[in-house]
Amino acid sequence: MKEYFKYFRWVFIVIAVLAIVLAAIKGAQGLASITGSHERTNTECTTTQRVFDYADVLTDREEKKLESLIAKREKQTGCDIVLVTLYESLEEYAREIEPDVPHNQFVRIFAEEFYEENQFGYDKSNGDGVLLVDNWFREADGHIHTWLWPAGNAADTLSYGDVDWILDEVYLYVEKDAYRAYKTYVNDFYRGMTGKKSLNVNLPEWLPILAGIIAAVIFIPMNWKSRSGSRTTTATTYVNGGREHFVNKQDIFLRKSVVKRHIETSSSSGGHGGGGGHSSGGGGSHGGGGHSR
Amino acid sequence: MIFKCRNCGGNTVYEPSRKRMYCPHCESLDSENIVQEGSLTQCANCGAPITPGQYASAGRCEHCGSYLVHNERIEGVYEPHLILPFKINKDMAVERLNQEFHKKTFLPSSFLSQKSLEKLEGIYVPFWLYDYQAHYDFEGEGTRVRSWRQGDTEYTETSYYHIIRQMEADFDKVPVDASFVMDDGEMDLMEPYAYQELEDFDPKYMSGFDGEVYNQSAPELEGRAQVKVRDASESLMQQSLAGYNSIRPGRKNLNLNRDGVRYALMPVWMYLYQYQGKTWRFQVNGQTGKVIGKTPVSRGKVLLYGLTTMVSVSTIFYLIMAILGAV
Repeated sequence: MKEYFKYFRWVFIVIAVLAIVLAAIKGAQGLASITGSHERTNTECTTTQRVFDYADVLTDREEKKLESLIAKREKQTGCDIVLVTLYESLEEYAREIEPDVPHNQFVRIFAEEFYEENQFGYDKSNGDGVLLVDNWFREADGHIHTWLWPAGNAADTLSYGDVDWILDEVYLYVEKDAYRAYKTYVNDFYRGMTGKKSLNVNLPEWLPILAGIIAAVIFIPMNWKSRSGSRTTTATTYVNGGREHFVNKQDIFLRKSVVKRHIETSSSSGGHGGGGGHSSGGGGSHGGGGHSR
Repeated sequence: MIFKCRNCGGNTVYEPSRKRMYCPHCESLDSENIVQEGSLTQCANCGAPITPGQYASAGRCEHCGSYLVHNERIEGVYEPHLILPFKINKDMAVERLNQEFHKKTFLPSSFLSQKSLEKLEGIYVPFWLYDYQAHYDFEGEGTRVRSWRQGDTEYTETSYYHIIRQMEADFDKVPVDASFVMDDGEMDLMEPYAYQELEDFDPKYMSGFDGEVYNQSAPELEGRAQVKVRDASESLMQQSLAGYNSIRPGRKNLNLNRDGVRYALMPVWMYLYQYQGKTWRFQVNGQTGKVIGKTPVSRGKVLLYGLTTMVSVSTIFYLIMAILGAV
C-alpha cells in the first residue's frame, strides 16, 4: 500500500492541485453569481422553454442538458439564449413576409418572427438575447440554412466577426454531433459576450475517458512482462577513439525550387449569408448572420 | 592445476574486493603455490575422479570442493589471450541483485521471501573479441525543405544537395560470447565491459570460479560481430546525414576488414532462483554490476496500477477541461 502511494504520489499531487484550483474558481464564481449575476426582468415572455427541437435531432436527455447549460449561461450573460431546429421548407412562409428574400435568408425571417412572437429578451420583451435557427430541410437551392440572430445588448456586443465565428464553430460539429454543435453555440455565445473568446476549448465530453483508456492500454502491456534489461551500448562504444572519422564529407548544393501557394484567408464553403443590416422591431442593431451547408 | 596456500596448504582463491589471492583458511594474502597435478579426470587436491563438463575449464571438485583449473583447457588453442578479472564478489553481486529487485514495482511481494537460491556461480564466460576496420562510402541526393509565409502566400523552398560521405571507423574488441549455455541476447545486454581492466591471461584469476572454453570457433561466430559492426556503422552514417528532409541513396558500400581477433574470458555472476515451481535466471556483470534477467510479474499489481493510471489520467483531463471551461 505504501509502495502504491509512493508510485502515484506525483499523480495524486497533480490531481489534488487541480481540484483545489477548480474549487477556487467555482467558489469565486459562486460569489460572483450572488453579487453580480443578472436577474431576469422580462415578465411578458411566458415560456421557460429555450430548446425547440422541431427537427428532432436531439435526444430528450441532450435537450435537458442543453436547457440547464442555457439557464447557467443566461444568468452569466444577461441574455435569453434560444435554439430552434426545424425540418421544413420556409420558402412560402418567408416570401409572404418579404417577397424577394433569397433562399439563405428564409431562416433570418423565421428567426425575427419567432423571437418577436415569443417575446424573448432577458430585460424586456424583444430585449437582450440570441436565437439560433438551424433548418435541416434542404431548400430549393439545395442547401441547409442556419441563422444566428442576436438582439438587444447581444446585437450591440457581438460583431459580424463574432457571429461568423460562432457559426463556423457550430458547423464544425453539426453534421456529426448536433448536440455538441449546439452546446458550442451556447458556450461560444457566452465567450463572445464576455470577451473570453481566446479560451475557446470545446473538447468533447468523452475525451477524459478516452485519454484514460489510452493511458491504460499503454501502461498495462508495457508492464505485463518483465524485460531482461536495457541496452547500454551505443554506436561508438567499440569505435577506437570514441569517434568515427570522415575522410570525405561534402554536401554540394545542386539547385533549388520554390513553390508558391496562395492561402485562402476566409474559408467559406457553404457561403456566408452576411448580415444584411436588417433591423427588427426588437431594437437589434444588426440582423445577425447565416451559414449554409 | 590447483592453487594452494604456502602457509596452511588450503585452497587459495582470487578475491575481487582485495584484487589479490586469498586463503580463506588462514587468511593469508598472495600465499599461493601452483600445484601442477591432477587432470581432466582426477582432482589435483584429493585425487578423486572428476567429470567436468564438455567445456569446463575451471570448477569445483565434487568430492573435496576445491577450486581446480584444468590445464588442458587453458593451454594451446584454448589459451585465452586476455582475461577480465572479477571485480565484484559474491556479496556485492547479491547486493546488486537485491537493489534491482527493490526497484521492480511489479515484482510479487512474496518473491523476495519465498524465492530459494538454486545455483550461484561466478563464471568466466568465453568471448571472442573482434577488431574491424569499417570503410563506408555513401553517395546520394538529399533535400532540405523550408517554408515561410509572406502576406497570404506560402513559399516552399526545396534545396537539392549531392551528398558524399567516406567514413572510416576502427572497431576495437567487439565482443561475442562463445558459450552455448549463455543466452546471446542477454549476453549482449551485459555489455559494455570496461576494457581498460583487461589483463593478459593468468590462471590464478580463475581460482575460485567456474570457467568455460569457447564452445564455437572465432570464424563460426564472426557473423554476429559483423552484424554489430554493420549496425553501428549504419547508425553513425545516419547521424552524419541528419538535417535532410529526404535522402535518395545512390551508392552505398560498407566494407569490413577484420584486423584481429582475440580470445578472452569475461566475468559473469549467474544466479538461479526457484520461485513457485519456476526457475528464474539472473546474470550480474562481474565487472560493472549490471543486472540482466527477467523477474516474475504480479499481474494483479499491474492491473491495479493500470486501473489507477486510467482513472487518474481521466480525472486530470476532466479537471483541466473543467478549469478551462469554468474560466
